[in-house]
Amino acid sequence: MMKKKNEKKNILKIENVNKNYGDLKVLKNNSLEVKKGEVVCIIGPSGAGKSTLLRSINKLESVKSGKIWVDGELIVDREKGKNKLDKTSKELSKIMLEVGMVFQKFNLFPHITVLDNVIMPQTVVRGVSKEVAKEKALELLEKVGLLDKKDVYPNKLSGGQQQRVAIARALAMEPMIMLFDEPTSALDPTLVGEVLKVMKDLASEGMTMIVVTHEMGFAKEVADTVVFMHDGEIIEVGEPKQIFDNPKQEKTKEFLSKIL
Amino acid sequence: MTKKIIAWCKNNKMKTIVSSLIVIILIIMAFSSPNKAQFENNIPKEFKNLEARIVKKPVYLDYVIVSGYYQNKKISSVKAESVEYIGLFGKVIEVKEGSSEEFIFDCMKWLPSLIEGAKITISLTIVTTILGMLIGAIFALGKMSKIPGITHFCRAYIFFFRGTPLLMQLMFIYYSLPLINPNFAIQDRFLAAAIAFGLNSAAYCAELIRAAIESIDKGQFEVAKALGFTYGQTMRKIIIPQTYKRLVPPFANEFIMILKDASLTSIIALQDLSKVTTAIQSSSSKYTVFIPSMIIYLVITGVFSKLFECIEKKYSVYE
Repeated sequence: MMKKKNEKKNILKIENVNKNYGDLKVLKNNSLEVKKGEVVCIIGPSGAGKSTLLRSINKLESVKSGKIWVDGELIVDREKGKNKLDKTSKELSKIMLEVGMVFQKFNLFPHITVLDNVIMPQTVVRGVSKEVAKEKALELLEKVGLLDKKDVYPNKLSGGQQQRVAIARALAMEPMIMLFDEPTSALDPTLVGEVLKVMKDLASEGMTMIVVTHEMGFAKEVADTVVFMHDGEIIEVGEPKQIFDNPKQEKTKEFLSKIL
Repeated sequence: MTKKIIAWCKNNKMKTIVSSLIVIILIIMAFSSPNKAQFENNIPKEFKNLEARIVKKPVYLDYVIVSGYYQNKKISSVKAESVEYIGLFGKVIEVKEGSSEEFIFDCMKWLPSLIEGAKITISLTIVTTILGMLIGAIFALGKMSKIPGITHFCRAYIFFFRGTPLLMQLMFIYYSLPLINPNFAIQDRFLAAAIAFGLNSAAYCAELIRAAIESIDKGQFEVAKALGFTYGQTMRKIIIPQTYKRLVPPFANEFIMILKDASLTSIIALQDLSKVTTAIQSSSSKYTVFIPSMIIYLVITGVFSKLFECIEKKYSVYE
């Protein structure tokens, strides 16, 4: 592969990824490259395979065939459903720590406090000492504006606050890439803003982000690249300006005319 | 602490008055309860002078607020005389046959052996519940594991112990095992009962625990995987702690079931509360013994239900 010297390197590469549920093809030969610090928004109608693609990157879904690299390391290599990867699960989980994920339904741990939600994964998975983990957790909670809620249980928080804690928890693992699976879809409209603001701050700090979203305003404003998916296929990839103002593909035009 | 009590008293005036009255009455009863000498003064001369073949030692029962006294004299092989008294509020009352005093006096007489039986019942139930929870947790995880050998073994275990009567399992362990191999003979009846009950309860608890684990939101597993938790870490740190609260009500149920199933141990002659009760009934031919016995069962169930309620409350801080 030829590379220009000043071009940032690929941090994520997806190549010919296919997946089907029975006869239904949910991902059709998708390829995508994401550079370090890039913010990619995946848009498209529901059932287009956006979340499935995102979850495949995190290995929550196993694909039928295709390859995925994270930071130059192969993490998925399948052909006709067979695993061809020659890494041990230990090596693999070490690479997978570089990928953080935020879910639509927050999925905070309900049985421990907000602070412990951010501390526990660090101590258990990364083996960080409790003091260091706590320091980092407090720092991150301050960043998402929830330092005053550190000692409450997640059920006492609003949806927006829970999602911000979930972001802090994912960040505590120091990932290189953050995946957001419709982070604002389960939220009350009045609470969407506070979550998007945290995400914007994150983007401006240079975090590589892949966001599946229905928030077109966010995609327009923050994304470096917008990916339009339809029926399991990546139809169009481009800068937000081009996608929103001047879509090349018929299906993109149709979708945008429906929602804008 | 004292401030809290004072505040509670102010808010519950009626309850405070009633309970303090009860306490005062109990204190008066405790201080006025007749002692042994007072009973002995009441024994009629005729009884004292009776010539008897066998004289049983007088028994003095002291239950702080009430006391009792009885003595038997066997005159001949067919004739026996006895004196029985209850002491209440400083008075010594003679117990006549068929009176309500007789029932109270009988209860006082039976109480020590009933309590011995209750001790066995309670300890068997507690040991069984603990064994059931621990072994059950292993079988629950085993049944859910993806390793074929382990899954099938756990399934077979649960199928067997839920599919055959506890009574037969108990008899098998106590009577049949030694016949198969003398090394398996279990001399201690309590131990045999605890093993049979524990193994049986484990099968039920395994299903309870599996159901509780499967009731946890799938999102918790996904987020754990996304954060890099291994399966073991996910279970230990995230999933199992969330099942505690959900497990308390079914475990409380299981506990009460075992408490009553403990009566099955009479088949291996373990002296549990039920066995003691029926023994008293058959030796005295007084069917009133079931009343104190059932009250003891209710007290045990009540105390432990309250305890389980407290545990549940402790684990529901986050819900």
